[in-house]
Amino acid sequence: MAGDDMEALEIEILEFAERGEEVPHAKAYRIRIDGETVRVDTPTPTGELLLSKVHKRPCAFELIQEFTHHENRVVEPFEAVNLREPGLKGFLTAHKEIVTIFINGDPYPIERGKRTVAEILSKVGQSTEGYTLMEEKGGPPLPLPPNLPVEIHGCEIFHSQAQSGGSS
Amino acid sequence: MAYPREQTEELKRYCATLAELTDGGVTFLYLGGLRLPAGCEPSICDALLCPVEKDGYPSRLYLSVQVVSRYTRNWNCSNARIGERNWFAFSWKVNLASPTLSQLLVAHLNGFAKEK
Repeated sequence: MAGDDMEALEIEILEFAERGEEVPHAKAYRIRIDGETVRVDTPTPTGELLLSKVHKRPCAFELIQEFTHHENRVVEPFEAVNLREPGLKGFLTAHKEIVTIFINGDPYPIERGKRTVAEILSKVGQSTEGYTLMEEKGGPPLPLPPNLPVEIHGCEIFHSQAQSGGSS
Repeated sequence: MAYPREQTEELKRYCATLAELTDGGVTFLYLGGLRLPAGCEPSICDALLCPVEKDGYPSRLYLSVQVVSRYTRNWNCSNARIGERNWFAFSWKVNLASPTLSQLLVAHLNGFAKEK
């Protein structure tokens, strides 16, 4: 077996970054995300895939590359990261301030925190006068009262529905 | 009266248990552990959905407790005896042409999330 052609089974990239060595080809790479070690089968995973390894999604979190000798860098969800890049120590995640929510299946940006039903409906050009906002939260969509703030963390799924029914 | 299976299956998503209950010639749908909209206290209770005309309403949702919600409701039915249990209902008229059972349920639950 020729030494140059040898491929390691699994590599911890942090060890190579600390030694200042080039990361060799491997069948799998062990990387740290928020201090947690995860295994990746490709040298060029996307940001979204890396976030998913720590059970997070780009609609709420951003992924940041950490290097030994230079500044950290934000990785876009669709961007492929080169795990063999010299000096790459690992990754951090950060909760976004502007997150993405989904209304009637489409993504919309919104500031994280307490938001009003009216503000959320306005994203789809609707108001509380004629529409009910419903949220899917661990079950089927249920209506949200307009006078109760909605806590937005990112990735929430909403549906709007023309109002029906009334007190009699 | 038998309700369409695909509609009762869809209704199961909203509650822990679903059963048909016949009382006084009316077939109700018993929804055990029904999840209520945000802002309701309690957040879960048992319910009876009556998809046919009753008490002058085209349909009705009876609840096992008088739920406290973000809007004051006119609870004009207290301790109605159905299936050997007491039930409560607020005045809420749903006008939907041929709704499915889950559409009907959600329209009644909207009563907790709508001012008038």
